[in-house]
Amino acid sequence: MFTYSLVSGILFGIFFGFMALGLNLIFGVMEMVNLAHGDFVVLGGYVAIMALTSLHINPVVSLVIALVLFFLVGLGLFFPLIPRLSNSRDPEMLSLILFFGLSQVLEALMVIKFGVNPESLPLSVFGNSSWHFLGQSYQIAWIVTALVSLVMITLTYVFLYYTSLGRAVRAVMGNREEALASGLPVKRTSAIIFAIGIGLAAMSGVLSPLMIGSLDPTSGLGLTTIAFAIVVIGSLGNPLGSVVGGLVYGVSLMLMQTYLSSWSVLVPYLLLLIIVLVKPSGLLGKGVRHA
Amino acid sequence: MSREPILIFENIVKKFGAFRALDGVSGTLAPGEILGLVGPNGSGKTTLINVIAGLYYPDSGGVRSQEQDITHWPMHKRARMGINRTFQIPKPFKSLSVEENIALAYHYGRKPAMSPQQALDFVGLAPVKNQLALQLNSSQQKLLDLARALAAGPRILLIDELAAGLSHQELQVVADHLQALAQQDIALIVVEHHLGFVNQLTERVMVMNAGKEIFQGSLSRAAQDPTVSAVYLGTGS
Amino acid sequence: MLNTQLVEAGKRQRGRLLINGVIPFLVLVGFSLSPFVYANQAILFQMMAFMALAQGVNLLYGFTGYLPFGYVGFFGIGAYGMAISIQLLHFPGLLAVVMGGLLSAIIAIIFLPLLRLSGAYFAISSLAAAEVLSNVVSNSAMIHITNGPYGEQLTQSYHPVTSYVAMVIVLVLTTVTVIFIRNMPFGRALMAIREDPVSAAMAGIAVVRSRSIVWLLSALIAGLTGAIFGWHLSVFYPNTVFDLNISILAIVFTLFGGYGTVTGPVLGSIVLYGLYNAIGISDPQYFQLIYGLLIVALVLFLPGGIISLIQRRGNYVP
Repeated sequence: MFTYSLVSGILFGIFFGFMALGLNLIFGVMEMVNLAHGDFVVLGGYVAIMALTSLHINPVVSLVIALVLFFLVGLGLFFPLIPRLSNSRDPEMLSLILFFGLSQVLEALMVIKFGVNPESLPLSVFGNSSWHFLGQSYQIAWIVTALVSLVMITLTYVFLYYTSLGRAVRAVMGNREEALASGLPVKRTSAIIFAIGIGLAAMSGVLSPLMIGSLDPTSGLGLTTIAFAIVVIGSLGNPLGSVVGGLVYGVSLMLMQTYLSSWSVLVPYLLLLIIVLVKPSGLLGKGVRHA
Repeated sequence: MSREPILIFENIVKKFGAFRALDGVSGTLAPGEILGLVGPNGSGKTTLINVIAGLYYPDSGGVRSQEQDITHWPMHKRARMGINRTFQIPKPFKSLSVEENIALAYHYGRKPAMSPQQALDFVGLAPVKNQLALQLNSSQQKLLDLARALAAGPRILLIDELAAGLSHQELQVVADHLQALAQQDIALIVVEHHLGFVNQLTERVMVMNAGKEIFQGSLSRAAQDPTVSAVYLGTGS
Repeated sequence: MLNTQLVEAGKRQRGRLLINGVIPFLVLVGFSLSPFVYANQAILFQMMAFMALAQGVNLLYGFTGYLPFGYVGFFGIGAYGMAISIQLLHFPGLLAVVMGGLLSAIIAIIFLPLLRLSGAYFAISSLAAAEVLSNVVSNSAMIHITNGPYGEQLTQSYHPVTSYVAMVIVLVLTTVTVIFIRNMPFGRALMAIREDPVSAAMAGIAVVRSRSIVWLLSALIAGLTGAIFGWHLSVFYPNTVFDLNISILAIVFTLFGGYGTVTGPVLGSIVLYGLYNAIGISDPQYFQLIYGLLIVALVLFLPGGIISLIQRRGNYVP
């Protein structure tokens, strides 16, 4: 039992680290919490479900569709909304409220389009075989999801550390004012990161029905809370932090489901409360930051 | 100079992670005395002010005032016992009027204190008292910081870089004002980059470098001190 | 000369107090008389409950800057505190309501450390705290105290008229509290803390204590409201009184009307709850779409809410 919880916790953790990545990037670069993050994840899930049921498109293809589509959605949302916010008197609070409004809009639109019933993807979508490891077997869908997540996290890491745009992103994360003063294209960098953040959220959403069972239009806020907890646990602006936070969450969740299942819904909330009250800078963080 | 000190800080150590912003700094201050606190950027001047005002608690060492160990007192309690300050980057209550800013400090601060009107007149902000603080320019905001501190009835006043951005004439006015406050037995610590301004104010200075005090005494002697010249004035070998 | 100025200022002050007094008076008269001309008491009752919650959010967000997404936690705890007092302690309804409010305040004391957080950290952590409360109350392990997921049936204590009157009283008291805080130096001090906590402390204001007082007051308001709400329904489930939409609507009503004022939340609740009744019950998704878009538009064009349209011309609004 323990091995099973641990291994599945790691698989889930990698996925949730990926799920939180977009929130982490946007938070790190723009100092804004995208409260609609979870709704974009859910939208990605709907893309996969619709693509599979109506067009017989495999979720692997939907991954690319969701990334590209929501990258464009992100760009489309950025320019009318964000620059205006950045110039306001209290960008932090106002952005929180704005994204809260956006989250309500997305939720309402999803109810109008897809109804309130939960939808899911069949676990057999990647075949019926399973993976045997240390005497236990695991769903192949979980393995595929974890692998995709790992690849995407690695790509994000490579992007941040080995490309010139990525270096600009890290400079803005380090100190926005200084980056502005030194003439970096902060607005363009922010726009791209915002779009990438939304795209990655939707992309992780494609796989989400396989990991969390089913989705409905109201799943978004819960996912946002989980993502926020993961980002705070792992320290913000650090893609490796997302992995650490994701693993802490995934393993805790699986252990709770195994040993104290009736309390397992509390895992993300308790983890968040513990971390913000004990070490708000996160496990990898250096200094406290207010946002 | 033989008066009983109103502020004593001993062996103050303040670390930020592995960085020792203050590394065992000590000193005393008597009522009516002005201490110039000088040193290069990052030498720990503002950190020392912050420890005395209670924004940070030191990792070790202590702060005492008026027979009390105030090392771990919260800021508002210090304000009510008469420790007050201005900020390097002024921090007014932006959406309140200039007068309301000061009236609040008068209401919650120590008594006796300058009335809001007196404080406004003292710093010369009376003509703009009904404006919102956010409408002031940055040197007016600095004066508002000072007026607010005065209305809270300070006995010890910590002035953090008031001179930056002021014109030569304004500097003279501010220097006269601070001296007038010292005449009223308020003890002042003046953090300053501008040595000419310090020179106008006081003879007694403390020079800091890398979290340590490297010199304490008169400004004229400081200028001749080889360590001081080396680290601060940059003229040494 | 100075004397006449002072007299003028005094007159203005009294004038303002009078205008301020009009609001709780209108609320009192309006909700006391409307049941006689409008049959749907449930709508009136819920509008009052949301107005009180909106004022509670207003107190916390408008005066201290903490946005409590988890505000419903206090509401739910109030309802359960009331229900437990009736079921296990056999208290009469009104006393049980007071117990609900007190239990909420106690929970608020336990969650005081949340005030160390700010901005999004606070907002989302308060949501997490509400989820924890909701899941603890509805957990099967709590079946002997809260009846777990099966909810509470208080049919023996059902008093629609008394609970309605109690709601009117709590709403009027809440409104008066907000007026007092807004017009006392304490309110100014809270605004100062909101603007700059360090400067506020240097002005001699006890920052932590002031914030804690407001936190406890707003928890008490939500607790009493939740207790009366539960009493009025007399049958409810954990999902009924811990529904996150309760926080969301209270926040939306406050932001729409204008936070930091007394009138804003009143206006916001009347207009938006009215709209909710017109379309929200049959088609909640369209109502959600409308207020979602409203929030986005407010942030971009009118962050002070509709009240700020009047304030913009220099008019005084209570």
